[in-house]
Amino acid sequence: MAVVDRNGPIADKWERLADDAPVPGGTSVIVSFARLKSEHNSLFSAAGGVGVEIPGDVNLDELEPFLPRLGVVVVRMANMRDGRAFSVGRLLRERYGYGNDMRAVGDFIPDQVLFLLRCGFTSFEVKDNFPIDSLKHSVAAYSVWYQRATDRAAAVAELRQNTPGGGNS
Amino acid sequence: MYIYDQFDHTITRERVAEFSQQVVRRLIGELSEDQFRPLRLMNGLYLQLHAYMLRVAVPYGTLSSKQLHKLADIAKKYDRDYAHFTTRQNLQYNWIKLEQVPDLLAELASVEMHANQTSGNCIRNVTADQFAGVAGDEVEDPRIISEVIRQWSTFHPEFSFLPRKFKFALTGAAKDRAAIQFHDIGIQIVKNDAGEIGYAIYVGGGMGRTPVVAPLIKPFVARSELLSYLEACLRVYNLHGRRDNMYKARIKILVRDLGPAEYARQVEEMWPMTRAAGVDVPASEVARIEAFFVPPVYEKIAEPVASFVAAKAKSSAFARWVETNVHPHKAAGYGAVTISLKPIGGIPGDASSAQMHAIADLADAYSLGEVRVTHVQNVVLPNVKQTDLFAVWQKLGEIGFADGNIGLVTDIIACPGLDYCSLANARSIPVAQKLSTWFGDLDRQHNIGPLQIKISGCINACGHHHAGHIGILGVDKAGVEFYQITLGGAGDEKASIGQLLGPGFAGEDIVGAVDKVVNTYLDLRQSPAETFIEAYRRVGPTPFKESLYGRR
Amino acid sequence: MAQVKSQTKVLTANRLRNGETVYYTPAGTWSLYVTEAKVSTTPEEAEALAKIGADAYAANQVIDVAVIDVAPGSEVKPTHIREVIRATGPTVRTDLNKPVAPPQR
Repeated sequence: MAVVDRNGPIADKWERLADDAPVPGGTSVIVSFARLKSEHNSLFSAAGGVGVEIPGDVNLDELEPFLPRLGVVVVRMANMRDGRAFSVGRLLRERYGYGNDMRAVGDFIPDQVLFLLRCGFTSFEVKDNFPIDSLKHSVAAYSVWYQRATDRAAAVAELRQNTPGGGNS
Repeated sequence: MYIYDQFDHTITRERVAEFSQQVVRRLIGELSEDQFRPLRLMNGLYLQLHAYMLRVAVPYGTLSSKQLHKLADIAKKYDRDYAHFTTRQNLQYNWIKLEQVPDLLAELASVEMHANQTSGNCIRNVTADQFAGVAGDEVEDPRIISEVIRQWSTFHPEFSFLPRKFKFALTGAAKDRAAIQFHDIGIQIVKNDAGEIGYAIYVGGGMGRTPVVAPLIKPFVARSELLSYLEACLRVYNLHGRRDNMYKARIKILVRDLGPAEYARQVEEMWPMTRAAGVDVPASEVARIEAFFVPPVYEKIAEPVASFVAAKAKSSAFARWVETNVHPHKAAGYGAVTISLKPIGGIPGDASSAQMHAIADLADAYSLGEVRVTHVQNVVLPNVKQTDLFAVWQKLGEIGFADGNIGLVTDIIACPGLDYCSLANARSIPVAQKLSTWFGDLDRQHNIGPLQIKISGCINACGHHHAGHIGILGVDKAGVEFYQITLGGAGDEKASIGQLLGPGFAGEDIVGAVDKVVNTYLDLRQSPAETFIEAYRRVGPTPFKESLYGRR
Repeated sequence: MAQVKSQTKVLTANRLRNGETVYYTPAGTWSLYVTEAKVSTTPEEAEALAKIGADAYAANQVIDVAVIDVAPGSEVKPTHIREVIRATGPTVRTDLNKPVAPPQR
């Protein structure tokens, strides 16, 4: 496994912690949501940093109390067609105001990373053979968008307003 | 019609480049078929029985003559010299090579066309009333907001991997010519008591395995807030629509399971967030789009138009064609011509390159260069002067498309069926051809009156059989094609779902069975003015069942 | 008319790059013509065909791989109407159909 952002591989400090493994002091760990709920006191006091992995059908209201202290939220896509992650990402950013690293994990392909970025994701856990060249190419596929999203990139309707004579060249 | 600006061109060009690169990655094996399939479907590319099929988007069914010429050229260059108009107002090519698709897309882009989101679990091509802008009964031209929705839904980062496909339809008139209540979201443009234009939102209709007539979720959404409301509708669906069973993944199942009131409540709860996200486009942008749909300057023509009246008097065949195929136009002295792509015994919706070129030429000569595609698989010349109607009719005769059968029993919808489609269980087209031939006599068709037959070759219902006055569904019974009959469906403002009459019929018996149904109607109607659907709603299925299966 | 489960089968697919309907031949190639297909007569042979198909799919040569029933006899002919149509073309455009066997040269 490797972790990438829009530019390619990045260093990653996070370690996965199994539900029955002891908390290593000072280490940054990603735990299941069940464990976070039951052991948040000891996790936040012992670990160097705490992250959580959630599935697409998570109840975000339950996660909300922990969000300010989480260093990473990992959203799992059950398969590449599991599009709930895109909405979960937007909700975390736009409704719950979550501001730290948001990571997607699952069998998504480079072509989906651009949309994940637009929905607020910042890092991606991928297999070691993930095609980095295609990733770099795919995230640069579009220079303008028809609609606003979490990334707040200006939509064409706004660009048209700022273009002399509208967009008609 | 809408004309691309530099941004539309940029996005379309970048899309061609993106898909071209995806094709290369597939051909060299970087992408597996499982990974590529959703990508190619989002570009309208299916694998059918004999080849790839490419579905080209015709947004809200509006085409320029230039675009139609290009579509004809593409049919000749990349396909086998013909194409098929579909019930989504799109156009399909049947014999496409994957390795040629990038070049084909570049040619489409050169005339401001594409195949974006004509398949896949995303927001599909938006459909609308084929008489948009020319019908006298509309509140607003639905193509304005259809274009706003087209842009918003194109490469939507959040809604490109929905639980299942998602279809919008719009009507600007109370008379529904777009079957809006059979769509995931149907929008009727309305005016509120204050005289403001807004949108009534129906959610959760559809055909397929579980036909549902969509309930009204919100009676009025203001124009300035439409996109944020739609985004809230989609987000609730994307989060909570079922993903465990593809047959229960459409939004109609979610709305049914939650109940329309609870679904509407969840949308309301989500709406402030989508409003805050700034997805609603400014009024100036809607105005910019609206400017493309400003009605053309029509000549001032006083009715009655003498030459038109004389032509009808001289040729009863022409007069009859006018009766069925020419729709009233809001401008005096004009008509909207529906060109029947249903010649007797022909393949519904198919047109050769030569026929497409000829229609495009007619559009240039007689219809201000514009063409529409209907969800009944016909083509419309929306702006024809009544003085030109006779000439148009004669020229249509030269290409075999002068049949005056719009709305009659031979104006049949048929999906491609087992002749082309890898999902089909039975053939649809040959059934349509046999029925068309059987009922071909025009006197008989007029005697029968308005009657819609719709044929699907499988339960996915691309042939809209649920909405047919007579619906025919092909099934596979131990390797043999069988056809079930449903009666009483309707896709208009009185939408209803056809009821299954009984056991199916073998291919050689289906024409006889439909004939019995039609004769039963002719026997029991109160007067020639009572249409098939009116009579069916009055008497119910029993007399028809008895005529087909005997008394039980 | 009930269908008898056929014991004779052939391997079919569509070429990835152009979508053409093809059949696996005794020579180890893919032919456009069903009559040139290699016919299996035992479950083991059918299994072997399925394996060849899976490998060709994995190698990105073909997609929509299937082992289909054909009628026993001297000329290979699919039994199910879907496969009959796949082998030749749409029944409503016979002008576009391909022959079941290669044209004689």
